[in-house]
Amino acid sequence: MPIISIEHLKYKYPGTDRLVLDDISLSIEKGEFIGIIGKNGAGKSTLSQAIIGLVPQFYNGAYGGSVLVDGLRAESVPVGEMCEHVGLVFQNPFNQLSGARDTVYGEVAFGLQNLGVEREEMKNRIERVLKQLDIWQYRDRNPFDLSGGQMQRVAIAGILVMQPDVMILDEPTSQLDPQGTEEVFRVVDALTKTGITIIMIEQKLEKMADYCDRLVLMHEGKVVDFDTPERIFSREDLEKLGVQPPAFTRICRSLGWKQPDGTYPATLSATLRVFDEHKSDINWKEKLKSYQRSGHQQPDAQGSGTTPIANDAFQNLFRVRDLRFSYSKEAEIFDGLNLGLDDRATAIIGQNGAGKTTLVRLLKGLLKPVSGEIYFREQDISGKTVAMLASDIGYVFQNPDDQIFKYHVLDEVMFGPLNIGMDLSRARENAEKALELMGLRGKEEENPYDLEMSERKMVAIASVLAMDTDVIILDEPNIAQDYEGKKRIGTMIHELSKNGKLVIAILHDMDFVAEYFERVIVMAHGSILADGNADEVFCQDEVLEEAKLQKPYITQLYERLMIQ
Amino acid sequence: MKTIFKTKLNTATIVLIPACIGINYLGKLFASLLKLPLWLDSIGTCIGACLGGPIIGAICGAANNLIYGLTTGDNITLIYALTSLGIGFVVGILARLGFMTSFPKALICACGGGIAAVVISTPLNILFWGGTTGNFWGDALFAATQAAGMPVAVGSLLDELVVDVPDKLLTLIIVYLILKGLPKKLTALYDANAKIERLD
Amino acid sequence: MKSISLYVDRGSWLNRLHPYTKLLYILTAIGIPLIGGKLWLFPFLIGCSLCLLISAKTLRQTLPLIGFSFTVIIVIFLIQGLFNHQNQQLLFSVGFLRFYKEGILYATRIGCNILNMLLSFAVFILTTSPQELVDELEKSGFSPKFGYIINSVFQILPQMMATKDTIMDAQRSRGLETEGNLMVRMKAFLPLISPVVMSALTNTRERSIALEVRGFGRKQKKTWLSDRPKHKEDRVIRVILIVLILATVVWRILSCR
Repeated sequence: MPIISIEHLKYKYPGTDRLVLDDISLSIEKGEFIGIIGKNGAGKSTLSQAIIGLVPQFYNGAYGGSVLVDGLRAESVPVGEMCEHVGLVFQNPFNQLSGARDTVYGEVAFGLQNLGVEREEMKNRIERVLKQLDIWQYRDRNPFDLSGGQMQRVAIAGILVMQPDVMILDEPTSQLDPQGTEEVFRVVDALTKTGITIIMIEQKLEKMADYCDRLVLMHEGKVVDFDTPERIFSREDLEKLGVQPPAFTRICRSLGWKQPDGTYPATLSATLRVFDEHKSDINWKEKLKSYQRSGHQQPDAQGSGTTPIANDAFQNLFRVRDLRFSYSKEAEIFDGLNLGLDDRATAIIGQNGAGKTTLVRLLKGLLKPVSGEIYFREQDISGKTVAMLASDIGYVFQNPDDQIFKYHVLDEVMFGPLNIGMDLSRARENAEKALELMGLRGKEEENPYDLEMSERKMVAIASVLAMDTDVIILDEPNIAQDYEGKKRIGTMIHELSKNGKLVIAILHDMDFVAEYFERVIVMAHGSILADGNADEVFCQDEVLEEAKLQKPYITQLYERLMIQ
Repeated sequence: MKTIFKTKLNTATIVLIPACIGINYLGKLFASLLKLPLWLDSIGTCIGACLGGPIIGAICGAANNLIYGLTTGDNITLIYALTSLGIGFVVGILARLGFMTSFPKALICACGGGIAAVVISTPLNILFWGGTTGNFWGDALFAATQAAGMPVAVGSLLDELVVDVPDKLLTLIIVYLILKGLPKKLTALYDANAKIERLD
Repeated sequence: MKSISLYVDRGSWLNRLHPYTKLLYILTAIGIPLIGGKLWLFPFLIGCSLCLLISAKTLRQTLPLIGFSFTVIIVIFLIQGLFNHQNQQLLFSVGFLRFYKEGILYATRIGCNILNMLLSFAVFILTTSPQELVDELEKSGFSPKFGYIINSVFQILPQMMATKDTIMDAQRSRGLETEGNLMVRMKAFLPLISPVVMSALTNTRERSIALEVRGFGRKQKKTWLSDRPKHKEDRVIRVILIVLILATVVWRILSCR
C-alpha cells in the first residue's frame, strides 16, 4: 500500500480564481525519495502543504479531491495530529524556529513537549538527533545566534525528533550560502540512509539527480510527468516548462552522449560512465571546449590572456585606496583594501562573513570607512550622504520585503525616480522600461504582496533600475529565482553592461557567475584573493579552497574528464 | 452581536499577537528616529484589532504593556495596559462594524480609539501621578490649567486629549493605508468566518 | 543577540526563588502602604526592596530605572508644589515660584508610590527569567498559547529591531529623505513602517505553519524537560509575606476605631 495517495486534488487560495492545484493524482511508496520540480508558481509548495493538511485547513480556500497519508485524510485530520506522520521543513530557517525557546536543545524539544512525549524518551531522542545532524555542540546556544545553515539544521532536527514517516523538504537551501547549503545537503545525505520517505522541492537539480528515485514534474498546477530523473531531464520540452536540466545532462546532450536506455546522464558519475564509451570520439575535447565557451557569453578575446587585470587598462569608476573598516574594535573587516572598479560587470564571490556586503555598503556610502578613501568618478564620497548618492549608485537589497510599501507595482517602481527629482512622465517611462526588462509587463497595477517572492524580488530590482543610475549593486539577486528568473536577471546584467553601466553583484551561484560576468572578485576574510575573468579565477584551486568555494559544474566536469 | 466578538484563537492569531507587539515597538522607534512629536506606539495593537477582532485587539494591547512593563522595569507602561486594552477593544469593535472600509470612516474609528484612550487614561493619571501624562506639551497644558485654577479632572482630561487624539488619528490613518493593500491570502488566516469550499 | 529582558543570572538566592514568591512580594510591597495608609511605610518598603536588590547583586541594573523615574517625579513635584488646589501654607520659594506644603506632601506620596512600585517590580524583573516564569505559569494550568505569546516576544522583538536599519538603508538608497522639516519627516514614516508590518505579517504566516507542524495546536497535556528544584525558602517566605499583609489589615482596622 502506498504511504501517500493523492486523487484528483484541486485547490484555490481564498479570494483567487486560479486553480493552483489542478486535478493532481499521485501515489508514493514507503521509503522512496521523491523530488518535485517545476518553475516558480507551478504549485510545488502548495502540493507539499496539502500532504500535511495545511492546505486547506490553515489557509481555507476551495478544495477538491483527496489526500491520504498513512490512511489519514489530510483534509480533515488536524495538522497537530498529522505532524506525527508528516514533517515539513521550508525555505526560511529563521521563521521555522518556534521563537519561544532560547536554547537549541529547548527548541528541538518544543514539538515533543506538544506531543506529550515522556521526559526520558524526549531526552534520548533529542540527543540522538542533535548528534546525527552534528549540532550537539550548539545545544546550549541561542538558536537565533546561529548561522543560516546551522539554524536550518536545528529546524530539521526539530522535525526529525518527532519521528515522522514522511519528511517534506521545501527548498531548504534556497536562502543559504554555499557552506550552509553544503551542511544541509550533508544532512539530507544522512537521511536517505535511514529509509524515511522524503519529498523534496529544490532548484539545485544537480543535487536532485543524485538523490531522487523519481521526480514529479509540475507545470501550472498540473503534474506533467512522474518518472526517473534521467527520463525527466531528457525530455526535449523541459526548458519550455521553465526547468533547466542539470549541467551534466546539458553537456551530454550537446555532445550527443546517451546512456544505453536512450536517456542522457544526470549525475557526474553517470556522465563519467558514459564518457568511457565515447572516449574513442577524438573530437570530444574540442566539442566540450566550444560548449564551455558558448556558455560564457563574454567576449573572450581580450580576457583570456594570462596577464593579470591591470586596473589602469580600464577607466575606473570607483577607486578604493587603503580602506580600513570595522564594526567593532575587536574585529577588523578591512585592513588596507585597494581596488578599482571599471565598467565591466563584476561578480563578488566568497563565503558569508568574507566582507562582500560590507564592501558594497561602503561603496554605496551606507557605511563610512574608518580610514582610507573611496573615490567615485575621482571624487571622494566621504562627504556625501546616501541621499546625495542615490541618483548615481543604485543598490538592490537582498530582501525585497525590506523596501516594498506601495500597493501597485508601478507606484513602487516610480518611488525612487520621483525621490531623486525626475519628473512624472520620465519616471513613468523609466519605470515601464524597467518592468519590461524584469518581465513584469502587464503586472503594473497588481499589488506587490499578491505576487510570489521571486516576482517581488524582480519588483525590487526594477524599482532601482528605474532610477537610471550609472552603478547598480545587486545583493544576491538570484535567491528564490528559478531557471527563467535567473536567465532574466542575466539578460538584464548584459543589457545594462552594454549601455555602459557598472553592475556589481554579490553571488553564490558559480555557474551563473561564469556565464554572465566579465570580472570575478574572490573575497575571504576581508581581502581579495583573486581578481580576473571567470576562466582565470575558477582554475585557481588553492584560492577557491581558501575561499571555500565550489567550481561551476561545467568546470568540474571538464577537469574530471581531462584527468581521465 | 455575536459576530462582532467572534474570535478565532488558532495558531495564526496567536502568532499575530507578538508580531503586533513588535510593530508597536518599531512604530515608536521610527517616530522617535524621525523626531515626530507623537508616540505612534499602538499601530500593532490596531492592526491586531482590525484583523482579529476586539478580543485579539484587547489582548494585543494589554499584553504589549504588561510584557514591556514586566521586562524593562518601566512600570509606568504597566499601568496603561488598561488603556491599550481599551484602544484595541474599541478599534476592534468599530472595525468589525465596518468602520475601516473607507477613509472617512477610518477617521471616525480613529476618534473612537482616541476617546477610549482619553476616558481610561485620565482616571489613571489622576490616581497615580496627580494628573500628569509624561508628555511635555500635554503636561505644560496641565500646568497651565492648574495655574488657572481649573479642577484636576478637567486639566488632566485636556492634557490627555491633546496628546492622545492626534496620536490615535495618525495611527489609524497609517493602519488604514497599510491594511487597504493586504492580500486576501493573508487576511483570510485571521477571518473568523472563513470556510473551506468544496470543489467536487 | 541583545535581549530586551533585564534579567541577569547572578546565581543569587533570589534567582533560585520561585517566581510566584517574588510576585507575592510585589503584592505585599505595594499593598502594605496602601492598606496601612501611613507615609512612613513607603520608605520602609523602599528600603526593603533596596536591600533585596543589593543582596541579589543587581543594584547597578536598578540605578538607570530609578534615574528614569526621577524625571517624572520632578515634573510632579513642580506641578503639585506650585498649583495643587489644596495649596495654602507656603513652604519655600525660588524666585517667583512659590512652593506650598500641601502640594509637596501630595507629590511626596505619589513619588514614594512610584519608587516603591518600581523597586518592588525590579526585585522580580531583574532576578526572574521570563522563560522560567512562563514555564511555571503553564505548569500551573495557564494556557500554553498565552505562554507562547510572552516567550516569543522576547525572541522575535530583537529580530524585528534588527530589520530597522536595513529598512532605513533600503529606503534611503532610493532617495528617501529622513531629515528636514516636520512634513518631510512625517512623509518618511509610511515607507519605513509599511515594510515592517508587511514582513511581520508574512513572517507570521510562516511561523504559524512552523508551529502547526510541530503540534502546537494540539489539545493535549504538554510534557516538560525538567522540574523546578523545590526550595524550602519559598514556603517560609510566602508565609511571612501573607502574615505581613494580614497584620497590616488588622492594624488598620484596629487604628480606625
